[in-house]
Amino acid sequence: MTKRGAQAFFVAGTLISALVFLALTVDSHRKIPALTNAAAIDATVIAGKDVWHRNNCINCHTLLGEGAYYAPDLTQITAQRGADYLREFLKDPSRFYSEERDGRLMPTLKLSDQDITAVIAFLGWVSKINTQGWPPRPILVRGSAVPGAVIGAAPAMPSSSDPIEVGRATFNAVPPACAACHSVAPNVNIVGPTLAGIATTAAARVRGADYHGQAKDAAGYIRESILAPNTHVLTGPTFSAGGRSLMPSDYAQTLKPEQVDQIVAYLLTLK
Amino acid sequence: MRYSSQRVAYPYFVVALLLFGLQVAFGMLAAAKYLGPDPLLQVLPFDVVKVIHTNLLLVWVLTGFMGAAYYVVPEESRVELYSVRLAYVQLGLWTAMGVTAVVGYVFRWTAGNKLLEQPFPLKIVIVVVMLMFLYNIGMTIRAGGRLTTTEGVLVAGLACTALLYLPSLLEFDNYTLSIFYRWWTVHLWVEGVWEMIQGGILAYLLIRLSGVDREVMEKWLYVIVGLTFISGILGTAHHYYWIGVPRYWLPLGGFFSALEPLSFLAMAMYAYYAMRRSGLSHPNRMAMHWTMGSAIFSALGAGILGLAHTWPAVNKWTHGTMITSMHAHMAFFGAYVMIVLGMITYALPGLTGRSEDSRETAAGFWAFWLQMAGMFGMTMAFAAAGITQTYLERILGIGYLETQLKLQVHILMLVATGALFVAGVALFLWDFFFLAGRPLVAVETDRLAPARPTA
Repeated sequence: MTKRGAQAFFVAGTLISALVFLALTVDSHRKIPALTNAAAIDATVIAGKDVWHRNNCINCHTLLGEGAYYAPDLTQITAQRGADYLREFLKDPSRFYSEERDGRLMPTLKLSDQDITAVIAFLGWVSKINTQGWPPRPILVRGSAVPGAVIGAAPAMPSSSDPIEVGRATFNAVPPACAACHSVAPNVNIVGPTLAGIATTAAARVRGADYHGQAKDAAGYIRESILAPNTHVLTGPTFSAGGRSLMPSDYAQTLKPEQVDQIVAYLLTLK
Repeated sequence: MRYSSQRVAYPYFVVALLLFGLQVAFGMLAAAKYLGPDPLLQVLPFDVVKVIHTNLLLVWVLTGFMGAAYYVVPEESRVELYSVRLAYVQLGLWTAMGVTAVVGYVFRWTAGNKLLEQPFPLKIVIVVVMLMFLYNIGMTIRAGGRLTTTEGVLVAGLACTALLYLPSLLEFDNYTLSIFYRWWTVHLWVEGVWEMIQGGILAYLLIRLSGVDREVMEKWLYVIVGLTFISGILGTAHHYYWIGVPRYWLPLGGFFSALEPLSFLAMAMYAYYAMRRSGLSHPNRMAMHWTMGSAIFSALGAGILGLAHTWPAVNKWTHGTMITSMHAHMAFFGAYVMIVLGMITYALPGLTGRSEDSRETAAGFWAFWLQMAGMFGMTMAFAAAGITQTYLERILGIGYLETQLKLQVHILMLVATGALFVAGVALFLWDFFFLAGRPLVAVETDRLAPARPTA
């Protein structure tokens, strides 16, 4: 090859690559609004994006897998934790995590209520971006380190059509991400209380003096806890704040009735 | 060194090396925070340390590139620099920008966009500095009336660096779009135009150090840069897989990422060829170590380790884990840190007024080998941590925090090998500042008078 030939290779190669890249960029521009649900970007989401930038979140966390590796990925955090939980967490992370136990703690950012609302809305919008199936399995903040806990390891697809089996799969799927907060191993409280032996515990609770709900048996109690978590609130540092449960309270809308039946059927097997 | 205005490179190298020292100090602090507990949690949290660590890298490497250009261009164009004063003013403004940015980060003044955290006013300063630099270089080349391929590639790389910084000035309401264009700056810098700069400096150093025929070297330089852009431009796709863009970026990213090692392998072969052809004839053996080292280390770190996680089927599991840190550390060090240190080592005898080309010190060689060993160890530690993290957190679905606790042993290795690396950096600084002797001051020359070699 002569020097002229090499020069031509460089110029032609670069030009063609750049042209293809620009053409694909134009095409992506046309498709990104649909893929990212851009119609849902309102003033609150934009304000939340500013909160995200202003507080340099990206230099500890990853979002869409991009950022720093010192703190968990937040792409699907709003699918795993309810807004009430996230609000309480952002006010004071040390209530939920400790350096002694977890090895990491987020600094307290002193965000205003408005900022917190905005950044949760922003993260909620991000969680609905079409990421071509990433992450292939939920990335959890905590959980599953204890033998017996099945978080994340269980496939999302049920292995049979048995309601209990379907319920188990739904319990581990995201959404609703029950398993992101509730373990089924004894004494392992990830964020919500452990559900090990919940069938037995629930049967005892409905007979307790401090119970004022409508349920008559374990199945009723579990159903009520899913659909109306504030009926019977357990106290615990990460369970509730100000008498209100930190569990998402919209499962009545987001879950289909048969899904609730299946989850209840599964949880009733935990005795 | 043939032109007195080349001496303006010296203060650039001083600033670059001081910031390099600061950068590795913050790197060690970041590693310590991974071990925890963190007594500075509420004062100087991890995010501040990390943003300073990465931004110092960008600023000092660019300072080194600009210093290198001020050294190379007069010699290649056979003319004194257009304006030494402008080069000093530019350095002053640039350093002030860098220091302001670092101090600003400590007080939470940030744009919070990864690697482009510089607040908007500072971004404008960066653009202004770049324009001053390009003007000065452009006028010099015009005055010389001679543009070699080597300096052309180097200067074009720097000009494109300035051009590709412009997208970072834009703001988007859609986060996906802002990431999309962020990579135009970040990816097309490090896997595009900075490779041009590396290639240009490498060609310059190889021609000087080995005495290989310039025509041959410049011909292959075109091939290397051609390969860089053919693979690198569409290789941007490997940053687009999961951010909310059409699916066609996945196969595209896989294919062109697989081509990306070619340009780095070509550079390694290029250096090897030069050395084979003329032997190790130049007396500056320390510069030769850094030059050859850069060619080989970048092939490993940027080429091979990059390919280790850019295929979609792999990246699906490793995306956002410490596998990325493994690749990033060795790639940046091999491709850009080493080539700048090579340039500094090569230019230093001339800049400090020595007649001989060679300058060998035990400290200089120890600096090289300790940095080599340290960075190799750090890469291995990051790799072990990243592989463990991928399996535990991503494949088995164990929580992030529990996984991090299992990585502690690898972080210990990171700190240990990082200490070796820092010792190497300290020795390099010691050698530069205390053993190399006093610099000569660059003299403003009459721009209109015909250029006259000083030696």
